[in-house]
Amino acid sequence: MPFLDILQLSLRNLREAKLRATLTTMGVIVGVAVIVTMVSFGLGLQRNTVERFKALDLFNELTVYGQSVANLAMSRSGGNQNTNRVDENGRRQRPLLPNSKPATRILDEAAVAEIETIPGVVYVEPVIVFTPFVRSNGRVFTELVAGASVPNESSRFKEFAAGSMISSSDAAEVVVTEQWTQSFGYEKPADALGKTLEFLAPPEKKKDEREEEKDSGASFFGIPLDEEESGEDAGKDALVARSFRIVGVLKEQKGQQGGGFRGLTANASIFVSLKAARDWTTEYRNPMTEVALELARSQGAIDEKQAEGFVSATVRVTDPVVLTNVRTRLTELGFQSFSIMDQLEQLRTVFLIINATLGLLGGISLLVASFGIANTMIMSILERTREIGIMKAIGAEDGEIRLIFFVEAAVIGFVGGVIGVLTAWGIDGLSNRLAYRYILKPQNASYVDFFYIPSYLWLGAIAFAVLVSIIAALYPASRAARIDPVKALRHD
Amino acid sequence: MSTQVEHSNLHPSALSSHPLIGAREVAKIYRMGQTEVAALDHVSMGVDEGEFVAIQGTSGSGKSTLLNLLGGLDRPTSGEVIFDGRSLAPFSKKEMARYRRRSVGMIFQGFNLIMTMTAVENVRLALAFGGLRGRERDARAEELLARVGLEGRLDHRPAELSGGEQQRVSIARALANRPRVLLADEPTGNLDSTRAHEILGLLRAMVDRDRLTVIMVTHDQELAASFADRIIFMKDGKIIERNAEVRSN
Repeated sequence: MPFLDILQLSLRNLREAKLRATLTTMGVIVGVAVIVTMVSFGLGLQRNTVERFKALDLFNELTVYGQSVANLAMSRSGGNQNTNRVDENGRRQRPLLPNSKPATRILDEAAVAEIETIPGVVYVEPVIVFTPFVRSNGRVFTELVAGASVPNESSRFKEFAAGSMISSSDAAEVVVTEQWTQSFGYEKPADALGKTLEFLAPPEKKKDEREEEKDSGASFFGIPLDEEESGEDAGKDALVARSFRIVGVLKEQKGQQGGGFRGLTANASIFVSLKAARDWTTEYRNPMTEVALELARSQGAIDEKQAEGFVSATVRVTDPVVLTNVRTRLTELGFQSFSIMDQLEQLRTVFLIINATLGLLGGISLLVASFGIANTMIMSILERTREIGIMKAIGAEDGEIRLIFFVEAAVIGFVGGVIGVLTAWGIDGLSNRLAYRYILKPQNASYVDFFYIPSYLWLGAIAFAVLVSIIAALYPASRAARIDPVKALRHD
Repeated sequence: MSTQVEHSNLHPSALSSHPLIGAREVAKIYRMGQTEVAALDHVSMGVDEGEFVAIQGTSGSGKSTLLNLLGGLDRPTSGEVIFDGRSLAPFSKKEMARYRRRSVGMIFQGFNLIMTMTAVENVRLALAFGGLRGRERDARAEELLARVGLEGRLDHRPAELSGGEQQRVSIARALANRPRVLLADEPTGNLDSTRAHEILGLLRAMVDRDRLTVIMVTHDQELAASFADRIIFMKDGKIIERNAEVRSN
């Protein structure tokens, strides 16, 4: 008998006992709805947690540390090679991480370029931070300035209160935080746009440095732009070393007063292009660094042309999945690295347990439903004994009779599964709305989707419902197939 | 009753002359607790192609049991059923189902139609088990019902049909997959005399015209005598009188 006819027969049987079929299906609907609602809540919880971390760029960024010039200089002059953890000048450059070997290489431009070739790395953003006197709108404060890659994927540069990101790495442009505009007396973030921001430096130092740099032929950090601007400014103020145009004001994150911690990059209030930052730090080098550099050079630890390198760099990867591979490669290259991901592996295990527990609770309700299916099937067989006898008398095979009942059960499972998934989806939507209205909104929080129904969840739930239904029909169906036609036809 | 001539080819030893369907030394024993009841006690018989044979006997004589064995609905305790020279004994369950589907058709006293299906759906069901599908199946179902004179009642459910009409539907269904033998278990038991004559007239016509073979179990002497070629009398699981040639034409 063609399967289509079997299906037709099964559907007809269900139609003939509408109420019973409906009630049985209800059991499956409840079971599936409970499973999907519970698991989707667990998954939603997981997604929301992970997304929050992701938004902070904790999963797709890692920090790489190189050998510092200070260490090089000291180790060569008799210091202990492997004691950089107790090194006073090491400061926070070297977090005390277990299992991480100390870096053996200097993190310079060449190293950055090499790291960028590792598969999965989007870009490497050396951490260049300095604290110059900054003047804008007639006020002067010392501010923390950081270099940023241009263009930049980091979520820090996703939302602007006004303006946009620095247009190119050569542009004399800066991005500031919303808070910075307030402390510098701009009423609205937009007011700061187009305004000038100046970094101040000692006049004579500035001059000397420039000459020195030119003499030593360190051409790779000279910007023609810089000369122009400083030339203009020289007439006004001898202290002005560099002047920038404000092109963007970063939006302050809710609940993160004071800038907030985003990703692994420094928490500065002013961002310039990496190139500009590098220029500045080379030109106005910290005296301590200069001493270290000189020491290292004179000892031959680094050659004359080699610069001191970066303390650390932020490595952005395409996907959290490749993070481990990238870190392995970094270790091979002789760098130390740090990622918050290590600490979050535990979190995944926790969610696995939560989801399994929620799924189990739902599974129990589907188990209860499966007894209902078995019961319905047995009742239906008792009722249709004569009909089964007739079918056998006119030539139905045992297998065909069995299949009719399996298909009947599968239809109950499928319909129950589909409606169950839709019910769960409805419950999720309703819960979200209620939670927003009565819990989130009164606290001024924004709408949160607490549930997550990925396609594997709803497809899996329907498949599971069908499977459970077929298992429940195993005994009834084989009992139907075993019916003796002679007795069945005598049956009234 | 009047003429009782020993018919040579129905003797067990004479089965070599190839009756279409028959039984050889068939016994069927039912176990009721401790006691065993022999519904059939080593019965042998045979029916030729194109014959209309009535099996007559009181209730409990074993005539229905014999018919069920011939129809492949049941298996004998010992002995064998033979169809077209082949024994059914080694048949698997699946082969038995195939035999019921293709080789024989059955009709019953209670019609045994599926009450929730219309006339044409009942016939189509049998055709579906026979593997026929689509348009071909619909056409054949209508043709079969037309053959039994029900072309105007295709979409009626059994409850909307008279007893005679219901039995016609069941005949159409029994003949769906072109069996060579029609087994009828008290086909007129629930019908009045006029309807009974109509139904048996229909079967008789099919025997005469299409060389259909009919074996009918009945307790009605008059009907058996008027329509069957010969009658087999049974009592207590044994054939007590066979080959009663009753029909002159």
